Parts: sequence; structure tokens; C-alpha cells
Amino acid sequence: MTGINSNILADRKKSIVYKSGCKGDGITCDTESVTGSVSQRACVFCGARVVLNPITDAFHIVHGPIGCASYTWDIRGSLSSGDELYRNSFSTDLSETDIVFGGEKKLAAAIDEVMKHYSPNVIFVYATCIVGVIGDDINAVCKTAEQKHNIRVIPVLSPGFAGHKSMGYKAACNAIMSLVSPYKSEQKVDGINILGDFNLAGEMWIIQNYLKQIGVNVVSRITGDASFDNIIKAPTANLNIVQCAGSMTYLAKRMEEEMDIPFIKVSFFGIEDTTDSIMRIAYALGNDACIRKAKEFTKQQSSKLKTFLDKYKPNLEGKKAAIFVGGGFKAISLIRQFKELKIETVVVGTQTGKKEDYEIIKSLVNENTIVLDDTNPSELEQFMLAMSADILVGGVKERPLAYKLGIAFCDHNHERKQPLLGYEGVINFTKEINLTINSPVWRYT
Amino acid sequence: MGKNIVNLTINPCKMCMPMGAVSAFYGINKCMTLIHGSQGCSTYIRRHMATHYNEPIDIASSSLTEEGTVYGGEKNLINGLKNLISLYSPTVIGISTTCLAETIGEDVPRIIDNFYEQNPDCNVKIINVSSAGYEGTQYEGFFKTLCAIVKNVEMDITPNNKVNIITPLISPSDTRYLKDVFEKFGIDYVLLPDISENLDGGYIKKYNKLPDGGTKIEDIAKMGGATLTIEFSKFTHDEISAAAYLQEKYGVPYIRLPLPVGIRDTDLLIQSLEKFTGIKAPKSINKQRERYLDAMIDSHKYNAQGRAVIFGEPDFIYSASRLCCENGIVPVIVATGTRCDTLTNALDDEIKKIAKNVFVDEYKILSNTDFDLIESEALRLGANIMIGSSDARRIEEKHGITLIRCAFPIHDQIGGQRVRTFGYDGSLDLLDRITNALLFKKDSSFRENLYNEFYKGDKYISTSKSKTFSQKAMERTVTHPCYNACGTENARMHLPIAPKCNISCNYCVRKFDCPNESRPGVTTKVLTPQDALEKYKVAKEKVPHLSVVGIAGPGDALANWENTKNTLSLIRAYDPDVTFCVSTNGLMLPMYADEMVSLGVTHVTVTCNAVNPSVGSKIYRYINYMGTKYEGETGAAILMANQLSGIKMLCERGAMCKVNIVMVKGINDFHIEEIVDTVKSLGVFMTNIMPMIPVAGSVFENMPLTNNKELTLLRNKCGQSLKQMYHCKQCRADAIGTLEGDQSIDFQDYQSDSNKEQIEKVRFAVISKSGILVDQHFGHATQVYIYDYENGEAKYIEKRSCKKYCEGQENCDDKFDKFEEIVKSMKDCKAVLCMRIGDIPSKKLAEQGIKVITTYDKIETAIAQSIKDYRRELI
Repeated sequence: MTGINSNILADRKKSIVYKSGCKGDGITCDTESVTGSVSQRACVFCGARVVLNPITDAFHIVHGPIGCASYTWDIRGSLSSGDELYRNSFSTDLSETDIVFGGEKKLAAAIDEVMKHYSPNVIFVYATCIVGVIGDDINAVCKTAEQKHNIRVIPVLSPGFAGHKSMGYKAACNAIMSLVSPYKSEQKVDGINILGDFNLAGEMWIIQNYLKQIGVNVVSRITGDASFDNIIKAPTANLNIVQCAGSMTYLAKRMEEEMDIPFIKVSFFGIEDTTDSIMRIAYALGNDACIRKAKEFTKQQSSKLKTFLDKYKPNLEGKKAAIFVGGGFKAISLIRQFKELKIETVVVGTQTGKKEDYEIIKSLVNENTIVLDDTNPSELEQFMLAMSADILVGGVKERPLAYKLGIAFCDHNHERKQPLLGYEGVINFTKEINLTINSPVWRYT
Repeated sequence: MGKNIVNLTINPCKMCMPMGAVSAFYGINKCMTLIHGSQGCSTYIRRHMATHYNEPIDIASSSLTEEGTVYGGEKNLINGLKNLISLYSPTVIGISTTCLAETIGEDVPRIIDNFYEQNPDCNVKIINVSSAGYEGTQYEGFFKTLCAIVKNVEMDITPNNKVNIITPLISPSDTRYLKDVFEKFGIDYVLLPDISENLDGGYIKKYNKLPDGGTKIEDIAKMGGATLTIEFSKFTHDEISAAAYLQEKYGVPYIRLPLPVGIRDTDLLIQSLEKFTGIKAPKSINKQRERYLDAMIDSHKYNAQGRAVIFGEPDFIYSASRLCCENGIVPVIVATGTRCDTLTNALDDEIKKIAKNVFVDEYKILSNTDFDLIESEALRLGANIMIGSSDARRIEEKHGITLIRCAFPIHDQIGGQRVRTFGYDGSLDLLDRITNALLFKKDSSFRENLYNEFYKGDKYISTSKSKTFSQKAMERTVTHPCYNACGTENARMHLPIAPKCNISCNYCVRKFDCPNESRPGVTTKVLTPQDALEKYKVAKEKVPHLSVVGIAGPGDALANWENTKNTLSLIRAYDPDVTFCVSTNGLMLPMYADEMVSLGVTHVTVTCNAVNPSVGSKIYRYINYMGTKYEGETGAAILMANQLSGIKMLCERGAMCKVNIVMVKGINDFHIEEIVDTVKSLGVFMTNIMPMIPVAGSVFENMPLTNNKELTLLRNKCGQSLKQMYHCKQCRADAIGTLEGDQSIDFQDYQSDSNKEQIEKVRFAVISKSGILVDQHFGHATQVYIYDYENGEAKYIEKRSCKKYCEGQENCDDKFDKFEEIVKSMKDCKAVLCMRIGDIPSKKLAEQGIKVITTYDKIETAIAQSIKDYRRELI
């Protein structure tokens, strides 16, 4: 760590490594954020909301003061083929009196009102920080409401302080388990569940189209474009594929243990990963026709893209990329995607990567690449400049930083409005990289 | 939604206190903010601000964890401060507490003392503001923070000539305006806060992660000795007002001015400054005023059409409303999510006057409200423009009401930091945006509107040409089951790939397939073009004589042109021989007729229910043409003109056109012969007159039914001039097979035990897909909802799956079996509610004492209504 660590907090040093410096215990990750460091992470509630909100016909009630609901209102690009209910933001909007006297009554009344005017099949009740502290027993409120109204009312225990985003994913997974468990003895069907795609810019639909191509039936979508009716069929599938491993591995494991559904991890970012994933699914199902179709389909798609990439590569070759994304799996896919474009990844970090993710990342990058866990703007600035990155791939918060540093930027976040997944996504991704890296505006900076 | 639910805030029109605190701290020089709470608060606020300002937003968090929550967050806060100082070297740190910190009772002043004790060399000014999210909105949070800043700075009370300026959250651009105007008057001022640079920085070679704009602490220290404070707010409270505090503590007098928006309030500012300085406003300002006034006059007539929804923080909506009022735009809704009791008083007289002028009877001033209410009121009061943040973008998207984005936060457009509303120039900017939006609406429709309204020439009748159907079309007609009544062995396949519709017919209940083309009330699962091809491949193998592929909805084929085109191309590549048939309402026909023909579409069905706009306007509620909604005769006229010119184009290109006409008694029955003659003159091959089926829930639900006799009579009459279709089956949008072989409900010979036991309460069987509405055709039920009506209430009892009655009979005839199952599952019911039902099953149910009620409504409402309507039969 010599040369460029002029301004790194002592507590942060173990979370920043050179690939070559990555020996012994390796990177420190999956821990609490360093206070005051301006972490880019969100909270437990955020994680839970991200995962569950795409369930389109559920009432998502945020139990807490207004902020949590206000800042998460319809900000993501999850699409729906059916209900649009999930695009509303419902909050019990707790006030000072509620904090003093407890918010249980208000929550119960809110559910009663919902049931008076609407007939949803499921209501999710998210517990925010405050609920964890004022002692509202939302489990009890939900249970009572369930019995009273004869629908599912599922508490999501996601007070913001109870860990980081990953804990929220877990809370969401538990809620999904609670939703589907009653159906676990239903007759199995021939088909699979897609876990961990949120149908941003229609990406769930793209995966589903691929599977259709190779003759695989999709039973349940978790949770992109999911509905109550669709999601409760999940226990009848014979395989789970896990796209966003960070958020959904926990659910996949539970479903494997409790419902006997094996799972495989997949990634549909980049040609290589997409092809591998389709093949992996075909092999996992062990159906000859399916394997044959998968081979044919992936071969055809990859060769179609070859001409396209050949055209773009000269524009991109030799550029340097920095990556800062939410989960490890996405970072890994991006490194591979950049490799396909002959772009070198010089800085790579995640908000919530796990040890095993960082192991894979190390195996993919060059000696000098800097690997960061839960980094902050100050570090990103230093490392991107020191490593002369040409482009940053990241979320909304990182975009202005890249621009202020005169660095190109690729939006790879949940607000995207164009699919970046699958073969279609390769085209969009490559075009976006080209148009930002080679924009004339950088000539004047 | 619009149900006025009181215990839930639906789509909030406000944010929380820390948001206001952070924004205020951003206007202090070299200040970093730390939010004392869990990590999410800081991240959410950063994201919200980053998309609005397009600036890096660095806000630290004390990242409170479970441990901190239980044992207190002191350790986190102190370490956080240390880390923050080491990373950013700020001169000021603002600490904003959160719901969490306040609720666990964090004593932040004490923690700050401890911090200074542990770090005696630290000379960073730490300012704490208590800002629990549940205590108020960002509006109060902002003022409260300014107050905390003033209270925490040691004042130099030596009298000086300075004027203190205090603002609510305004844009960086408007901040620059204020500075400029004070400078023009030569006034030495202290502006609190000054976000003009920190939230709208330029590009510089070396990025500075802690920008150096903003008000300096040493300047704030002079506020105690200033000669005057001007606080730009009509609605702040004394207890959170820095101006009030400065007066009370240091004797600095203050005045409160509204934001300088619009002519009156900018005048007020300029006059106040003239009075204060004793000098006249510079010429440049007068010139600006002249130009604004000139513009007001130039656009007043356009503005008079404006009916505005204005929402956001109290000071903003007050000013924007006054700007609207002085320009003749009626604010029909003024709304804030903040609790603001004085808002009505401040605006009511003014709006009343303006509304009265143009005979607008109703307007609403709403405080402490949410977008759920704003949305339903906006529709009710006929708003045509919205002014505020981007939070109303969903209403814009849903209802086509243009939104002028000019307040924080703006997430979906750039330039939030540059929004100008202050002064004569800023007001002019805002006014121009509003006027232009209104003009655009008018301008993009007036030609068609006027043409359609007044041009009554014989535009539709062209001289009849000899029909020249292409050879291909003629050959294919022989094998098309719809066009060739005898060719019943030929099968067709409808591919449901077109979900959207671009017109609204009064006999139609949206949510379901087009009743023109499908059996009413049938909801079809929509396929993608790829799926459609796969389905076709399978069908081709299994269905003998499959000769025609049709696109008939479930919406309109041409409203989904990409899907239609892709589907046809894919299938054509697979099967060069198949005949393509497309059904449409014809609105987009002129645009796609050429492409259709070149894709090999040989048969087109267009539904024309009128050739006269005044008749048409009774059938079509509205049309949605090129992104604009047209209603009444205008809409009908555009539709008709397009249908007819489209049909003409198709016929000229050799396609075989059939025209469907839905016969609505009392509306267009007298007019149908004219339709037939008109389309005949264009070269149409045949017409298909169909009876309108009154679908419950549709505008025409209570219209009389057309009986077969009347229908046949009319068909015969029209048959004298043009070939008529007598064999229409009104197929589903996903029908497969021959016309005769595709009846999805076949109820020929079922048997079932009747159960007529009398009960006190009334049990209903409800056929519902959604479980909320009676929204399913009886024949398509896979489940039955059971409800009991008792003591004036409809109670949900259970959901019965029809499948469970089918155990052990896997090989039996599906359709027959299904019906029997359903009947079994409702044996104990007095009545069944469904959206539609066939005649035979309806009769059979009646035979068993089960009353059949068709409706389309919320289940509970439908049950209550049924009791009302059929009390004697049911109880």
C-alpha cells in the first residue's frame, strides 16, 4: 500500500488491498461500516425493500416515520406485466405521539383500512429503525391481522441499524419463505424458479425468454415481476437459479433444505457469463433436448455478437476501468465483461461482497489492481486518479464524483432504464461504455 | 387509489427533518455533515440530493448498529467525528440527529463536549441540530438548522452595516440572484445559507471534495451586530426562526418577505431595498420588470386556460400560486405535505377572485397531504398543468398532465440546481415554461380539432372503383374461415400479442380484451413475438388445415405495432404459406398500411362504428393519438378519418378488407347502412354487423340488447349492397382451430344435483380472477370465492379451488368437467356473481336455484348491490 495511501483511515486499511498484497487473512469485508467514513452503503431496510418491492400486487407498508418511505418511493426500474400497486409508497408516517405511545394501533388500523378498501393477497410490513426501538410488536400485529382478514400479513424485520444491506436481504428472504412455506407440499412441476432478478428494465423477461428458447419452464419469479399467485408456486419447482447471489443465496439455501429444491448460481452479465449460465441450467436439468437447444442457442447468440463487438473493440481497447457496485457477483461479471472488451479493471470494489467473492475477484484481475470493500468517495477519488481510470461503473451516488474527476461513467444501478443483462445487455453496455468514454466533452477537461 | 385512507400516508409529498438539516448545512463554508443514526439515512439523502443537483454529495453517518442502539452511540459518534475530520479537514461539522438517535435519547451536546475534551487541539466547530424525522418535515428541519447554526456561533455584536438574509431551501441559481440584487443595491449582507456554489459547482482541474463556497462562520458571527434581518418566508415559526432569535437575543430587527417570485413579490423586495438604502433600483432591474410585464400581457390569454396543481414546501407553493394568479392561471390545487395552518388564509382570497373570473367553482388548498389525495383531486378538478418537484411524475405519466419541474427534488431531468424562479427574470423563466406547456397542448391539436369539428364536406365518399383485390388475397380468401363461410374445415389461430389499446369504447371495460373481437370479458395472456412463434409451431403440427394467423388483440394490433410486426416477420420466416389477418380499430392504419401489405398481410378487419363524428362521439370515450388524448367529436373524427383513409389505402394495395360494426341500439343502429355504403365505396369486401353486448362496468352496461331478429333484418338490408358475415363467432384473442371448433365453453349435457336448502344468511359464489373484483367469465374460473352476506356485511369465507373436485377424473372432457366442478363447488350458494356467463350455463344454474348475477365491480360492493336488487329472490 505504498505511494497513494496518503489519506486513508486506519480502520479502513484492512479493507483495501492490492491484489499482490492480498496474502494471509486477505481483505477485511462483511463487517460494520467505519463510522464517519462516508460509506456508500445503505441500511437493512433498504436491502429488504429492494428485494421485496418488485412483488407487484403486494401492499408494501413501511412502518415508521416518513423518510424511509419517501426516499424509496418508486425509485427503481423494476417493471411489471401486471399490477402497478408496488409503485406506490405506503407509510404509517409515525409522528411524535406515535413514538411516545407506540405505533401498533396505527399500524393495525392502517391494515384494517387497506382491507376495507382493497383485497390484496399479501401485505408486507417493514419495521424501520424506530420500530425496533419503541418496542412495537409488529409480529403480533401482523399475526392478528392475518387471522382477522384471512390473508397473509408478513412482518419484515428490517430496522436500519441491525446490520447492513445484507441483513435486509436476509429479512426479505425470510419474508418470502414465510409466504411460500404453506405451499411446500404441493405437487412438483417441471420447471425452475428464477431468484435474484428484479426485472430492472425488463431483465427478468429476457432471462425468461432465454429459458423458453431452450425449453425450460419458469415456475416462479423471485422477485422481478412477481405476483402473489406466481410466487407461491415457488415450492413446486425442481431447480432454483440464483442471479443476484448476494441477496438470494440465503433463500436458495433455505429452499434447498426445507423444500428439497437444489440451486445453482448464475449470472447473465456479459456474453461469457450468459452463455455459461444457460449451459449450466441445461446441464443441471440433465435433459438432452434442452442441452442441445442451449448449445445451439448460445452459439448462435454469441456469434451474432462477435461482429458487433469487433466493431466496437478498437474504440475501447486499452482503456482502464474502475468498478464499484453493490454485490460481489456483479463485480465479478463486470470484470469479465471488461475483459471481453479488452478493458483492464484497475480498481474494483463492492458494498457488501463476501470473502469468497473477493477470492474470485483476485483471481481475475491483474497484479496491481486495487480491491476495496465498502469504500467511500475519498478513497474512490484517490484510487481512480492514481490508477488513471478512464471509466467508473457504479451507482447514482458515484456518478457526480466521476464526472467531477473528468472520468466517464456507466450507470449500472437499480434505476437503469435499459437492460444490461443477457446478450441484449451486452450491446447496451458496450454502446454505453463507448459513448461515455469517447464523448467529445472530455477533450475540454 | 383515492380512498382517503387516514392511517396511511400514500405517496408522500414531504421528506424528513434530516434532509432539511443537511441541505442547510450545505450552505456553510467548509462544513461536513454527519447524520447520527443508521447508515441508510445518510445514503438515501445523498442519493436524493445527488440526482437533483448532479453534484457529489458527501454526508457521513455514525453508522449506528445494534450495539450502539442498545448502549448508546457515543463511541460511534466520536469515532465518526474523528474519521470525518481526518478525511475532509472541515472547519465546521453539522450533526443532524435522526429518529433513531432521538428515540434512544442520545445526549449529543454532552457527546460533543466529551469529544472536545478528548481532542483538545480540535478547532472544528461542531453544530448539533436535533432533527428526528417524526418531528417534522424537511421544511422545518431546514429552518431549525439555521437557527441552531446562529445559536451556536459566538456573535460579534459590534454594530455593523450588514443585512442578514435568511432563506428557506431555494435553488443555487435563485441564491445567486439574491446575492446579485443585494450587491446591485450596494448592500453588505450575510446570506444564510449560501448553497450557490456548494450545490452547483463548476468543473475545475483539481476536484475539491469539500467545496469552498458557502457562508463562513466568521460572517455568521457578524449577524448579531447587523442592522436588519430579512427572512424570506411567510410560514416559518418564531421558535425555529433565526431572524426571531437574532432579534430576541441581539436586538436585530427583522422583516419577513415572501420569496421574490412574480411581479408583486419581486416589487416588494425591490421597494424594500429602495427604502432601506434610499437609492433607486438600477435601470437594469426596471428593464427586467418591463420585460416580465410585457410577457405577462403577451401570454395572458394562453395562461387563462391553465388549471394548475401546485405542490411542495409552503413558501414555494405560496409564491408559485401568486405567480399563477397574477397571470390568470387558476391554482385548482395548492398542496403541501408539511403541516401549515396559515396557508389557506394566505391564499384563499386571491385564488377565489381569480377562479371567479373564469367561473371555476372549486379549488382546494391542502396542508399535511399526500399525492394520493392530490392525484384524485387533480383529476376531479380538471387540472391541466402541475408545478413542483418531480414527485408528481407518476401522475404525469398516468394522466398526461404536464409537470413543470421547478422544485427539489428533480430526479428525472437535469438542471435542478439551475432552476430559476426569483426576480422578474426568474419569474419570466417559470412563466414561459408554464405558458409553453399550455401552448404545446393547444398547438398540437387545434388543426385536427377544428377540421373535425367544422369541415363537414363529403370527405369520406370517394367514387367507387372496381375492386381489385390482389391475386394473392383472392387465393387466400378461399382458405380463410372468416371470409369464406363455407370453408369451415380451415382453421385459424389468433395470437394474443397486442395488449395495449389506443381508443376507449363505451362498450368496453378496459382490463379485458376488446369486445369487438373477443368474447367479452375474456382476458387473454399476452405472448411475446418469440412465444407467439413457438406457439404457432406447436399449433401447426397439431391443428390440421391451419391456414390463417390472425392478430386480434387482446388490445389493438396497430397500437402494438412493433409486436405485431415482429410476430408476423417471425412467422413468415417459418411458414411462407400462411395467410395473415389483422384486426384493428384503424386509428393507426394510415401509418402502417404500407408496411402491413409489404409484410404480407392480405386480410384486415377494421371496426368502424360510425362515419359521423357526432354518432362516433357517443361510442368512443376518447382516443389516444400520437401521444395526445382526444375526446368527444374531435377524437371520433380523427379516428374515422384515419379508419377510412387507411381502409382506402389497403384496398388500393389489394388487401381484402372486412369492416366490423358494433350495433348499439339507439346510438348507431340507424346509421349502420350509411357506414356500409361508405366503406363499400372504399372497396371493402364485406361487413360484419355484430350486436353490442352490454358489459357490466362499461358505460353501455344498461343499454338495451339487440335481438337476433333485428340483427338479421339489418344484415339482410345491408346485404343488398355489400356481402355480409353471418357466421361470426366473436372468437377469443387466442383462439385456435376452426370457427366451430373453438368454443371454449361447451356446456351441452351436464348434470348436477340441486341444493335448495334455505338459510338465513345469503351465501354467494364469486367468480373472480383478482379476488378483489368480480372480473371473470364464469367459464374461465379455476376458483370460486365464497362470501356470506350477513347483518349488512359481505364476509369472505373461503376460496374454493375447482381443481379439488376433479380428483381422479384426469381423462375426462375438460370443459364439461370444469363446469360440473364449479357447480359442485357452489352448491351451498344462493347466487353466483360473475362478469359474464353463457346462456346455457346460466339457465342450468337457474334450474338449480342458483341466481346468476352478472356484474363488474368490487366483490363487496357487488354483493351489497345484489342484495338490494334481488332481495326478494335471495332472502
